[in-house]
Parts: sequence; structure tokens; C-alpha cells
Amino acid sequence: MKWFLKIIFFCLTIVMAFAAHEGADAEMSLYYLPETVGVWNRSESFKTIDSTNIFKYMNGAGELYLGYRFDHLEVFDYTSENQEHILVELYFMETTDDAFGLLSLDWGGEPVSLDGLPADSPNRSLASQTRALYGAGLLRIWSDNLYIRIMAFRETPASRQAVLDLGKAITVDRKTPPEPELLKSFAPHVSSTWKLRRDRLSFFRSYLALNSIYYLSHENILDFDLSTEAVIAPYESISSAGERKRSQFMLVKYKNRVSAQNALNHFHDIYLSEYKKGDMADLSEKSLSLFKVEDGWMGYKLIDNFVAIVFECPDRESAGAFIQETSLGGDHAR
Amino acid sequence: MQDKKRVITRRDFIRGTIGATIGTSILGLNWPMDEAKAAHSSLVTVVRDKSAMDASKNVNSAILSKMIGQTLIKVTGRNNTKEAWLSLVKPNDMIGLVPTDHLNQTHDEVVNAVKSSLVEAGIPRDRIILAQGGASLPKKCTALIALPALKAHWLTGIGTVLKNYIMFSGSPSRYHEGNSAKLGEIWNLPFVKGKTKLVLVDSLYPLCDKGPQPDPRYQWAYNGLIAGIDPVAVETVCLKIITEKRKAIRREPWPLSPPPLCVEAADKVYGLGTSKLEEIRIEHYGWEKELLI
Repeated sequence: MKWFLKIIFFCLTIVMAFAAHEGADAEMSLYYLPETVGVWNRSESFKTIDSTNIFKYMNGAGELYLGYRFDHLEVFDYTSENQEHILVELYFMETTDDAFGLLSLDWGGEPVSLDGLPADSPNRSLASQTRALYGAGLLRIWSDNLYIRIMAFRETPASRQAVLDLGKAITVDRKTPPEPELLKSFAPHVSSTWKLRRDRLSFFRSYLALNSIYYLSHENILDFDLSTEAVIAPYESISSAGERKRSQFMLVKYKNRVSAQNALNHFHDIYLSEYKKGDMADLSEKSLSLFKVEDGWMGYKLIDNFVAIVFECPDRESAGAFIQETSLGGDHAR
Repeated sequence: MQDKKRVITRRDFIRGTIGATIGTSILGLNWPMDEAKAAHSSLVTVVRDKSAMDASKNVNSAILSKMIGQTLIKVTGRNNTKEAWLSLVKPNDMIGLVPTDHLNQTHDEVVNAVKSSLVEAGIPRDRIILAQGGASLPKKCTALIALPALKAHWLTGIGTVLKNYIMFSGSPSRYHEGNSAKLGEIWNLPFVKGKTKLVLVDSLYPLCDKGPQPDPRYQWAYNGLIAGIDPVAVETVCLKIITEKRKAIRREPWPLSPPPLCVEAADKVYGLGTSKLEEIRIEHYGWEKELLI
């Protein structure tokens, strides 16, 4: 009987702990969310989604969020008698980099300011300092560790205002940490002819996210997992005749050098199987690893626990320039 | 002897060897499979009406019914809707309507209009069921009408026709990631194979990026219905429309990423139809603006 009571007490403790946790989240979210905005009223109930039920909520789209360090999602609904509803999705990510990553998958839309500062100023930062983008009724926001989607199911001047007001209310007084450190390794120009397309720069941790930006393989040939950090961006070169060329540069940070080396080996074995592999520990550090493949020249380099890869260069020299000029900026600098 | 399984990469697409690679990659077999059929011609119809939806995206049911009638007549070559339906299904068939039921779902108006049209053609109302879901529903049916909504999908490239039966598998996660190339095998399951009499795609308000989550920046009023008997041909035309819309949005090529392996595999590995545009006869009726084909 004593054991039975102990088990009951233990179970009750766990249930109460969970209840307290959920209550805290709810309280925090409701704090951010106004009860009314324009003619819309917040529904009393809301959904909490985690990795166990995300597929039920959004089918295969759940893989996108699980490819980042996802904690949970809270979904709120604003309804109005005469207007279509407004959906608010708050994605609680483990780090600000993950929330940034989700926004960075698509820089499309109109940059909007939620804090009164200029929404987008190209010279403020290497990557866009934009933290909120609006388009056709959908507002997407990177706010510290929160990625936010606020969507009016029918765009009207009133719904646009309501969506923006909700964005402001949710993000007020929240921290605005900087972009992921890895972005600092992306030079605005390479070899003076190649210019970074900052509006196509993306941060990610999974090969599925990579494939949605730049298709490489349906298998995880670069050994991505939630401990990796990666950025990919195109560089463009426009000739005097107006001919546009585009190369893709990717930098991946692994948890240690061994992981990076193993990943590069794996990548080479699958992607460049016809090329004999050099001793990466030595060759990649001291000389160039450049290859001619079907869509141009590519190259890679192992730098400590980082792997740099360039694709689709028009010639050997360009590929070499990307690889040779790779330097690790910010806290990554050696 | 089985070939060693290969990993599909970007280079396979550029080389144009994806068909062979899909065969050896997903099945470990020589390509093409025995089931794959010889090349043939397929008809796909695109019926559009500028007024199918109003500015607020409300569907005009009367116009929609007319579009469905036009579609059936053009697809079957019959004189009227009743004859068209009766050339596809029999009154004693148990007919399963299979719409997309979640995230950018098929408009209810489309499902209801198809149902009404079948009833008007003499199909008893109790012989028509909604069959989206697990395997038990298609097992009850002797005929299926696929009614997916047109959308891009971030994991599979496109998530329209072939993906519409994913729940029939009982294990949808088995078809995620690289395994999405195998979506065609669901259409060859014993309780599915040969039952699909018509594929009619709701393309009133398609989504050309970021699917399946709705994103109004990439949705537009196409106001159309795309239909045919050959599911792969219909998917191929859907793919063309989505690809062209993406190009129009960015004013530069913006290929679907990842590439939709399932479409070519459905043709070359599973023999469900043709994925070659040159083998597809596209017939268009109605509104021509931004046809995208």
C-alpha cells in the first residue's frame, strides 16, 4: 500500500509539474497578446504544439521546424463577426539563431519596422537586419528566440493594420540579439567581381532545409544534425554585356574537427565519387580541392571544424578564389 | 543481379540520368521496372473561368458546376455530363471522392459540385463517400475520383496528385524526404490500383511555394480546374504551371527545390502515366490570362 501511495504521489508530482510548465507558457504568451486588435477578438483557447503532435497540425511542414532547434509552437486565433480570422503562430525556438534561420529561408516581402527604427538599411549589416517581413496578409518576424507568423486569411487595410499591431504587441520589449556569428564569414564581395546576394542568404541546420534552398541530395551527405550551423548564399557576377552568373557558397560549422572531416569525406564519396580523394587533413588545408562537374567548377576546404564549399563557378579561378578567400570572421576567427 | 543502391544528387539531375538513378536508388533494381509502360499520349484539360472566384476568394458555385461539366465532356469526349460520368463509373460502383483535407485543402465547393454532378448523372447518393484517410476507405470503394488541390510542397517539390493518396499507405512518414520518390507505389497498392477514374485538380487558388503551410504571397487566383485520366500527366501539367508562376514571381528561373522526384518515378518506375510534356496533349478552355502552360 505504501508503494502504491508513493507511485500515486510521484505521478501527481509529474502531472503538476507539466501543468505548471504549460501554465507558464500560456501566461507568457497571453501577456504578449492583446485581447482585441481592431475588430478582432482573441479566442479564449489556444493550441500548444510540440514535436509529438506537430505533424498532426501541419503535416510534412513539421519537418521544417524540427530541422531547427524547435521547442514548441503556440497557435492563437483572432475572430471577427464581419472579417476572416487572423492566425497567430508563435514558434518558440531554443536559440535566436534558429528563429533567424526560419525567417532567412525567405527574405521576400516588404520589410516593416515594429520598433520605430528603419526596417531595412542595406549598409547596417552584412545580412539584412530586417526582422519583420510583410506580404499579402502574412507577417513573419524574427524576435530573439521567437519566430512568428501572423496571417490574415483575407487581406484588407484593416487586417493589415491588425496584423502589424499584433506584431508590435508581441515583440515589444523583447531582446534583439544579432544575427548568427557564421554570417560574418560571408564577404560582401569575392575577387571584386562576385557580389553577395544578401536577399538569398539562409541559415539552417538540416539537409532538408538546405534542399528547399539549394538542392544537393535527398540523402544527408554532409552529416547535418542539430549541432551543425550552416549558411548558404549565392554570389552574382554581372558582365559588362549584362550576362549574369551565379555561384553558391556554403559554410558549415561542425561540433569538432573530426565531425567536419568525416562529413567532408562522406560528401566527397557520394558527390565526387569519380575523383580520388586526397588526404583531407593535409591537402584541404594547404592546397585547393577543385573539381569540374556538370554545372561548373566546385571546390571545398576544411578549416578546423568548418567546411567551406562552393558550387557552380564558371571557371577554376573563380572556384579557387572563393575557397582561398574564405576566412572565418567574428568569434570564429582563428 | 541487383545494382547497388545509389544516392541521388544534384549531379544526376544535371546529367539527365535521374530516371535511372531513381530506379536503382529507391528500389535497387535495374531501371525501368517491368511494370513501366511504353510511351503513350495523354490528354489533360485546363478549364478556367475568370469569375470562378470573386475578389474575396468566394467561389461561385454555379460557374464551378459549369466548369466541372465542361471538364468531364472534354476529358471523355462524350456529349454531356451524364454520359461522361457513366463512361468513367457505373451506378453500382462505390465511389470514393479523395480531396486534400488539410492545409490548402480542396475547396468544399469543388467536392460538393462533383458530388452533385455524380448524383445528377444517376449515381445513388449513398454510393458516393469521402475516401480521404487510411486504407479502409479506398478498400470500400470500386472507383476513386482524386480531387487534390494544386500546391508546391517544401519536402517533395510538388504535393498535389501523387501525394494525395499518401494516407492510403497507413504510414505517411515512410514517404518523406528521399522516399517521396516512392509515392507512386501507393497508386499500385492492390486496393488502389486501377480504381482512379478521374483526377480533377482544384487549381482555383494554388500555392507555388512554401507548401503545405499556406502563404498568401505565393497563392494566386488561377481560377481553374485541371483534369485527366492519367495521374502523372495531370501532375506534370500542374508542375509546369507552378514552375511558370515561380518564374513570373521572381522574374528569373526559380526551380522547385527539392526537385519533385515522385513525378518522373511515377512514370519510369511505377508506370502510372507519362511525365513527358511532349507526350501530353493539353487542351485549354476559357480564361486565357496567365495560363502558364
